Amino acid sequence: MHFAAALGLGLPIGIGLAAIGSGIGIGFLGQGAMGAMGRQPEVLPKLQVAMIIGFGFAEALTIYAFVTMFFLQGKIQ
Amino acid sequence: MAAAFAVLLLPSQAASAVSLLAGQLLMALNFFFLDKLVKLFTEAALGGPDKRPRPLPGQFFVWLTLKLLLVYGGSFAVIRFDLAAPLPFLAGITVPLLALFLKSIMLALGNGPSSLRRRATKTAATFGDAAKPAALLLAVALLALPVLVRASDAVTPASETTTAPEHGAASSEHGATTAEHGAATANQGGGGGIAHLPNWVVILNDYFPDNPVVRWMHANEYLVFAWLAGLVFLAFAWIAMRRPKPVPGQLQNALEWMVESMENVCGGMLGKHLPRYFPYIIAIFFYILTMNLIGIIPGFKSSTSTLDVTLALALMTFLYVQFWGIRNLGLLGYVDHMAGSPRDVVGFIMLPVMIPVHILGELAKPISLSCRLFGNIFGEDTLIVVFVGATALCLKASLTALAVPPMLGISALFMLLQTLTSIVQALIFALLTTVYLYMMLPHEEHAHGEAHPSH
Repeated sequence: MHFAAALGLGLPIGIGLAAIGSGIGIGFLGQGAMGAMGRQPEVLPKLQVAMIIGFGFAEALTIYAFVTMFFLQGKIQ
Repeated sequence: MAAAFAVLLLPSQAASAVSLLAGQLLMALNFFFLDKLVKLFTEAALGGPDKRPRPLPGQFFVWLTLKLLLVYGGSFAVIRFDLAAPLPFLAGITVPLLALFLKSIMLALGNGPSSLRRRATKTAATFGDAAKPAALLLAVALLALPVLVRASDAVTPASETTTAPEHGAASSEHGATTAEHGAATANQGGGGGIAHLPNWVVILNDYFPDNPVVRWMHANEYLVFAWLAGLVFLAFAWIAMRRPKPVPGQLQNALEWMVESMENVCGGMLGKHLPRYFPYIIAIFFYILTMNLIGIIPGFKSSTSTLDVTLALALMTFLYVQFWGIRNLGLLGYVDHMAGSPRDVVGFIMLPVMIPVHILGELAKPISLSCRLFGNIFGEDTLIVVFVGATALCLKASLTALAVPPMLGISALFMLLQTLTSIVQALIFALLTTVYLYMMLPHEEHAHGEAHPSH
């Protein structure tokens, strides 16, 4: 298989798979945050900030895949 | 010194030696007169016990005419009537000036009451603990600047390919003339770059392609925008905090709110060590925030959308954290920390495993910081490019009324998302710096490997 074809096939699939993991992680974060906000509405601002920061961390892993794609996409001629 | 110079020359060229001496004598005479004149002038200006300026005494003018006659008249006469060889004469005039210059350097570097060293350390003391590593880094950066400029010129041909096909399409909205320039650079940039939106540096480059300054700015766009972001934030902070009032105005209130929120969050982690690290954390936060937010304004680019800038920031943070780690824990404590703090036999047996693991973990921190920031901001940038490019494409294909409003609407929506991501990523960078600093504090009950945000 030509390496450009392999890259062209593999890179987007890689990002997609990484996004699955990120999606699950963010889903768990959101679930915990929503549950806690429902039980104790007065800590809502603090939880919101913590939730958004958590989203940032969970996104980071997909971003690593994205960066890898960015480095390799030049080689698809 | 005068005699030494003359003696050196005397055996070979007597006339030159005499001229040299004559020049030095003339300058010495000048200094003598200047000394008298300055003393009289300052006494008159500062006045007597009542501290009001007095008129200049008549003695001042006597000395002044004497100086003009002797010094300037003398030098004129020497040159006009060829009393001494001109070149050694001029050299002799400069010799006492050289002596004065050397004396001033020795005064500045020495330990007297007006030395530069004393004044520099006094200023540094007012900045507190953050001053020393910051001053060192600043000195290194300033010294390395010519090297970096030279190196960046060498890399220029490779970075010219970043202006891409989208440049031609998107700039057709700005003006007709830039379209041809855009097409020209698009041909040059077909080598496989991801599209960028034009910013004012690129437009300047289109109008003045031969200007070396503009070319350097175009080759180092991200540096120009990094400096611009720093200047913008400094201007904002200066305007906001110029005259702080007890009941603050709007800008001051906004700035204080942001700083105090960061203080609350970081103080919750660092506790009493906050004042030492907070200047760096808040500086990094505001700098990254400004750099990210500037990219939303059309015509500007966020320098954090290049891996170079984010890597530089992450490396700086890494060095800062390690520096304070070694300073807080001591060298032995730092190695102990890296080794996983072995306390029993099992710990010592695991040593060869734990040390590489911890070192790798420490090295992963700047990589993850830089990649996270770069990926987020660059991804947002690319999203906007795609939608704005689609808008431009619709305009070019004259589907104006049909396609442009929804495209513009979507672009605006994604710009809102870009704002959110910019703020969140700056916050995450600063918070992670705080967490890494917290890890490096001397602690006993820290559970290794469990509280690590290690990605």
